[in-house]
Amino acid sequence: MLIHNLYKSFFAPIIILLLLGSLFLLGLYPDISTILGGIALFLIGMEYMESGFKAFSGGLLEKVLGEFTSSTPKAIGTGFFTTAIVQSSSLISIILISFLSAELISLTSAVGVVFGSNIGTTTTAWLISAFGLKIKISVYAMPMLIIGIFIPMLLKESNWRGIASVLIGLGIIFLGIGYMKEGFETLKEGIDLAQYAMAGYAGIFVYVLVGAVATVVIQSSSATMAIIITALATGQIDYANALALTIGANLGTTVTAALASLKSNENGKRLAVAHFIFNSVTGIIAILFIYQLADLVDYLAAFIGIGSEDYTLKLALFHTIFNVIGVLAVSPFITILVRFLNTLFIPKGSNKGKPKYLDDAVLPLPSTALSAIIMETKHLYENAFDIITHGLNLKKNNILSSMDLDDVVKDLYSSGPIDIDNFYNYWIKGLYGDIIDFSTKAQVNMPPEYIEELYKLKLANRDIVEAIKGTKHLQKNLLKYDSSRNEYIKEQYDDIRKGLAELLRSINTIATTDEEDVIMLLLSKAKIHAERYDIITNGTLDRLIRKGLITNKMATSLMNDSDYAYRISKNLIAMAEVLFINMGSDLKKLHEDIGISDEEVEVIAHKKDHL
Amino acid sequence: MSIKKFIESVKASLSLDKIEKRGKKKSLKCLLGKLETRKEILGEVPKKKLNKKELKELKEEKEIITLQIKKGKKLLDELEG
Repeated sequence: MLIHNLYKSFFAPIIILLLLGSLFLLGLYPDISTILGGIALFLIGMEYMESGFKAFSGGLLEKVLGEFTSSTPKAIGTGFFTTAIVQSSSLISIILISFLSAELISLTSAVGVVFGSNIGTTTTAWLISAFGLKIKISVYAMPMLIIGIFIPMLLKESNWRGIASVLIGLGIIFLGIGYMKEGFETLKEGIDLAQYAMAGYAGIFVYVLVGAVATVVIQSSSATMAIIITALATGQIDYANALALTIGANLGTTVTAALASLKSNENGKRLAVAHFIFNSVTGIIAILFIYQLADLVDYLAAFIGIGSEDYTLKLALFHTIFNVIGVLAVSPFITILVRFLNTLFIPKGSNKGKPKYLDDAVLPLPSTALSAIIMETKHLYENAFDIITHGLNLKKNNILSSMDLDDVVKDLYSSGPIDIDNFYNYWIKGLYGDIIDFSTKAQVNMPPEYIEELYKLKLANRDIVEAIKGTKHLQKNLLKYDSSRNEYIKEQYDDIRKGLAELLRSINTIATTDEEDVIMLLLSKAKIHAERYDIITNGTLDRLIRKGLITNKMATSLMNDSDYAYRISKNLIAMAEVLFINMGSDLKKLHEDIGISDEEVEVIAHKKDHL
Repeated sequence: MSIKKFIESVKASLSLDKIEKRGKKKSLKCLLGKLETRKEILGEVPKKKLNKKELKELKEEKEIITLQIKKGKKLLDELEG
């Protein structure tokens, strides 16, 4: 039950099949029809619960997963608690994949969370065994459904709608369990499935296979566990076979995960492999030592007060124990496992123009989706940085160093022009389109404050693209006049290159420093220095023409190109203000309040000593 | 009661607005401290040793920082008032 993508695409057909099966069998086997209906309700309920948690968690899950995974034990603990609370390891894994893509979490930590999540998912069995069967929970379903349906009518906020979805989901799950239990009870009067019970290792292998196939078919190990527990509670299967079915469900869920990861990026695939290895090792250990584990369960059950005949709770205990043993067995090898995973799914060829962080799986999670868009926009800027630098005939390493800017402009990147259109088509166009497409899809699930931020990010993307287009226009004359015999025009074009090199260097510092005062100072300086391109106001053009230092044609070119340089600067500064100051940070608010205004920029820039 | 009103009333009863304000004030004071230190450092730079370009840059930085400190202090007064 690790990853949910493919499950989602199969979800509707599975429900329809279950309902059709239920209808078809209504006349002949009403009890089987009731069981199928119960499974369908259980699955629908889980879907409601998951979407509810997505709506009202408000980034809390992401924060917890981001902050409490610094060591393997912490990651395992976090995986356990988060999955136990939201009852959905698929939701946790979706967030993990997006965090891996955004490099907010290491693969080692993510694998740790997956291990913990496997233990967390066993709480479902405990809840069904402890509450689902001991009391008539379908009685509680109705009030939950009523409250869940009325909440959105009265309270329009997305948080309340999320809570309503969780309540409706729980209500439907309760109904589903109730129907499954009822179906198995009446089925027993007609057919006794217990007669097919098999002893020994042959029985174990057969039932492991049945459990695995059932989980692959219904795409949810929780639903399989619900069936196993209700069948066990009604005596339709015996305890030993239920243990084997549980192991099978644990193995079957890895197939679901593997299928789902086909749609995911390399991080999702690596995580699915980790899950597969973990569950396979756990499954093999559980099969090999099933009798010893059953004895351990008996011993521990007596110790914690579970009755010797309470097989459903003992099954839940077994489920937890063998997953804990799996974690203990595999955790010491986590470093080796991660090293192995890192050798898998390495992208072939250049991926520079392909999205690295956008994954449709995170679309329903506003905070994670926004992080993915921010990271991808930074990726777009990295590509743009290369194009702009080379378009200006500058070397990237020189800009990123502390080399004097006069020397930076002298050290040329190439003797001829680079094809900016070509680079734009390979590195920018597709990526830009993907970011905008992803943003549009993500916007549907976002609250207003996120939409406002998303709008700014879209503008930042546009600014990056505009800066590249400006560079393309600028490049033609830059190359021409950089090799001109007229030293005055050459000096002007070198000044343009120097100014833009300084800006690119400042943006790099802004992107990498945590010092708020440095960021504010550099942004202010960049705004002031951009005014140097206003060569009409500052008198540069007038001086050059009046003294006959440049031709009219040169003057026209310089005027147009200074305007391009000015616009490139404006685009890049606006982009940096959005992209490199953390959303919601104090600096963002303070920069808006005490950063220098456009009027102040003009005043400082046009003071005589600035010219 | 809508959730917005509910949140507002909880915020008011727990004085969360003040906490928010206090947080902003704290960040502003910290930033002002950094700007003041930077201004002091710039003031101690021996001007005679600088070339024309460096001197221009120094003056410009001082001007920007002075302006930011002035605006920051004004904002701090507003927050305290």
